[in-house]
Amino acid sequence: MKKQLIELRVNGESCELAVEPQQTLLEVLREDLGLTGAKEACGTGECGACTVLIDGKPILSCLTLAIEAQGKEITTIEGLAKTGELHPLQKAFIQYGAIQCGYCTSGMILNAKSILDENPKPSRDEILKGLEGNLCRCTGYNKIIEAVMAASTGKD
Amino acid sequence: MEEGMRIPKFEYFRPSLIEDASSLLYKYKTEAKLLAGGTDLFVKMKKKQVLPRVVISLKGIHKLDRIEWDDREGFKIGPLVTHEALVNHPMIREKFDFLSDACFKIGTRQVRNMGTLVGNLCNASPSSDASAPLLVLGAKLKLVHLYGERIIPLQEFFIGPFQTVLDPQEIVVEVQIPKLAPRTAGSYQYLHKASCVGETLVGAAVLLTMDPKGSTCQEARIGLSSVSSTPIRARAAERILKGKRLQEKIISEAAQVASDETQPRSRPWYRREMSRVLVERAILQTMEKIR
Repeated sequence: MKKQLIELRVNGESCELAVEPQQTLLEVLREDLGLTGAKEACGTGECGACTVLIDGKPILSCLTLAIEAQGKEITTIEGLAKTGELHPLQKAFIQYGAIQCGYCTSGMILNAKSILDENPKPSRDEILKGLEGNLCRCTGYNKIIEAVMAASTGKD
Repeated sequence: MEEGMRIPKFEYFRPSLIEDASSLLYKYKTEAKLLAGGTDLFVKMKKKQVLPRVVISLKGIHKLDRIEWDDREGFKIGPLVTHEALVNHPMIREKFDFLSDACFKIGTRQVRNMGTLVGNLCNASPSSDASAPLLVLGAKLKLVHLYGERIIPLQEFFIGPFQTVLDPQEIVVEVQIPKLAPRTAGSYQYLHKASCVGETLVGAAVLLTMDPKGSTCQEARIGLSSVSSTPIRARAAERILKGKRLQEKIISEAAQVASDETQPRSRPWYRREMSRVLVERAILQTMEKIR
């Protein structure tokens, strides 16, 4: 299949690259752009490890064609820290020990960011419902919820 | 990445007009698949259950992501409208809150941001959450193909598990939801599996219209998903409610009859029993909303 030239905007920077239509955004981020924060686990949209933000909304990059992500603002975990300073959610995840193996973390943090962007003071239940599409197999949910709550209240 | 999790190759088209999408479908027929949200299509392609030579994306077509309201005709929902858009739409939340409840139940936050209502209906899973509320709302689908169009009621759309009357050359361009009669409300009640996607085990939607005095039921509709080979209306149960004062005895009788109308293929006892419980709950909640 012929490759097509596309332009993606990732973490505020534009890049041009040649892709085949069946390549997912996840493949292109990881393999062409070297942004390996987004992970592949289930590959079928159940686990949320591949979550990235498109125009601020969490989506599954393993079920999104790279070719269809053109003209949109893509945010990956690599784009959260600003001028060397970690995002409050990243700090809270470290502070609260909300990371074990780390495989779910980028998806968790990006989805949590979109939850807080929409509703800066969510209840515990709203966070639970919001993060239902991100699976953690180290059973770290309590610490993850605590970290998101802490980031939402701005407390360390 | 493991080769097995990759999407097999295909030829990609992104027309900017419905007519062009229809021409492509006319040309490639069963070799082509339409792409809206991709949450069903790409999973099936990765699992090699569906292997289209051609994928036609609808995303380049203007206005297909619109939810339109007309005072006479009600809502028109385009094929690129996501579940999330329906959950967040102020008028749907206000007038058809039980439809937005059902959309909020679907998948996960990420899936709701990607998956579309029309795509979900076309996938025709017997457990499709939005279908039960849409059935009781009297929703219709507008289907177009290169040489014409037809409008069919949603209940005639499903013909079996993952099967619809949709011709491979047709595109669902609109879900039409008529406006509600006065003194009308609805409720959606469900139970789901304890799994990551939480597939619905029983979904029950009820819509009731009460008479001006608020004592007699003028119109009753009951929709059930996940309890038969397609989402169904429980018409015998509806007849029990219509024209009656909705007292406890009538409500339990209707719920029992609705449960008898189901034909669950797996976990039949549990699904029937829960159909009864959820229909009863949905009737009571609907009455509460009309009051």
